[in-house]
Amino acid sequence: MTVAERTDVERVVPQAGPPSRRRPGTARPWLLLAPALLVMGGLLLYPLFRVLVLSLQDFGLRELVSGRTDWVGLDNYVQLLGDPDLWATVLPNTVVFAVVAVALTVVFGTLVALLLARLSPVVRGLVTTAIMVAWAMPAVTGTYVWVFAFAPGDGVVVQGLGAVGLVDAATADPFAGRLSFFAVAALNVVHHGFPFAALTVLAGLLTIPRELTEAAIVDGAGAWRRFRSVTFPMLRPVFAVVTVLSTIWDFKVFTQIYLMPGGDGVNRGVLTLGTWSYVESFAQSRYGLGAAIAVLLTALLLVVTVAYLRLLFREDEL
Amino acid sequence: MRAALKGLGVTGVLGFTLFPVYLMIVTALNGEANAGSRTLWPDEWTLRNFAYVVGDGGFGRYLANSLVVALCTVLAGALLALLAAVAVSRFRFRFRTSVLVMVLVIQMVPVEALVIPLFIQARNLAMLDTLAGLVVVYLAFSLPFAIWTLRGFVAAVPVELEEAAYLDGASWGRMFRSVLLPLVAPGLVATSVFSFIVAWNEFIFALTFMADEQNYTVAVGLRRFFGQHATDWGAVMAASTLITIPVMVFFVIAQKRLTDGLVAGAVKG
Repeated sequence: MTVAERTDVERVVPQAGPPSRRRPGTARPWLLLAPALLVMGGLLLYPLFRVLVLSLQDFGLRELVSGRTDWVGLDNYVQLLGDPDLWATVLPNTVVFAVVAVALTVVFGTLVALLLARLSPVVRGLVTTAIMVAWAMPAVTGTYVWVFAFAPGDGVVVQGLGAVGLVDAATADPFAGRLSFFAVAALNVVHHGFPFAALTVLAGLLTIPRELTEAAIVDGAGAWRRFRSVTFPMLRPVFAVVTVLSTIWDFKVFTQIYLMPGGDGVNRGVLTLGTWSYVESFAQSRYGLGAAIAVLLTALLLVVTVAYLRLLFREDEL
Repeated sequence: MRAALKGLGVTGVLGFTLFPVYLMIVTALNGEANAGSRTLWPDEWTLRNFAYVVGDGGFGRYLANSLVVALCTVLAGALLALLAAVAVSRFRFRFRTSVLVMVLVIQMVPVEALVIPLFIQARNLAMLDTLAGLVVVYLAFSLPFAIWTLRGFVAAVPVELEEAAYLDGASWGRMFRSVLLPLVAPGLVATSVFSFIVAWNEFIFALTFMADEQNYTVAVGLRRFFGQHATDWGAVMAASTLITIPVMVFFVIAQKRLTDGLVAGAVKG
């Protein structure tokens, strides 16, 4: 299409033409949105409201079968907030794990992106493919493989660590201790999560004009200084998105914890808000208390999301 | 010096990313894995574990279930997300920003919070233990991300192309089919891959909703091979390989489009 034709369109269409972006029918966007909004409203928003309602009820097997409701006000929350386990284990487990996992994911992802940006196209393609392979590993199978690798006694990693003298391979059980349990979980989560960070940051890096970096080099800036003063400010929105999404994902990690030995509630020392809520509901049939825990987790995530959204939208209008 | 550092970095990244996949495949092919062999290089290579898993293990059934669920999710999700993406990137309307913020924020809702009420709802609607119940849930989960990503692809199609179609006398529906749809096809591929993976990998709802073994999806079916006392690791890893390979093939094929889509969604629409 030539420029002349284009200006023609500009001149002719606005008044008489069929619906265009400039004069949309008001109903059409809503018609287009309706199916998606209906599904998301019915299966995401309404259940969110329901879980809030459930958290105010004593909802057990009896209520599940009979359909009766037994309102108890804030009893579930009183019980939850008065539980020493919440403050001593569950909340620290959830928050510290998420913070550490996000930090590791973003830092490692950025380092990999910086490395990728410096590679020749062929090697970069190779490494990117390997990264895609790590990304593609489903959470369920990935977790089983890490569990297998760290299996007490005979897992290959435990054997390897034993061979170099870091642990006693015969007695070490990485899943028994709280710290080692979450270290394995963090390894699993970072392995699964860093590809997104690396590839997104890489895509951002490639948009930075070469001249900018070269000018910084001419001015005598070292690698760290260049990253801090050129790369990071240029890529702030990208880092913001990567950090927001990683935080949201890592706070609600469920499968990777639940499928580890003891993670399904057997070892109460490694419960997180997510697994605790699930175990209370579906193993103990205390759906009301489970819902209260879930509400607490959601509230926590909401705070994080809102904080980051404010950070984001200063940068970048929708 | 710099080259050596780069080489070291590349080796480290390759080793870290590929180690679990390697261990999984090698164990699946290890003839003695069920007899307690734990090694990075088996003495006896075999396909017996795969044969057992698909045959006596009943894993073929789970693969079929997962495939049906994932394909239904992809088809419904692509249609719904495309319509919604066109709405938010082609029209300016009241509450447009609110809808976008909701699409973004809703992704933070933890599945743990949804599984309790949805379990009770599904139970009341007799949707428990049906594949359709899972499809509806996965559709809802994949939509926000799909809409968010697709809106970048739709916005990248020049409005002038649409206007040219109108000038040629096309209706909005005709323009949608003949102009917009072909141009956003790469975006649809990217979001479809994502929806497929959401559905294929999902664990918590499949675990909670499915009671009858006949209806298990792959993520839950895997638990069959965990014994009360000893785990049949050769079988677990063979089944895991069967689950993982299709996802990996998808990812590597869609690699370019996937990352483009991410950037389109992440940086600006």
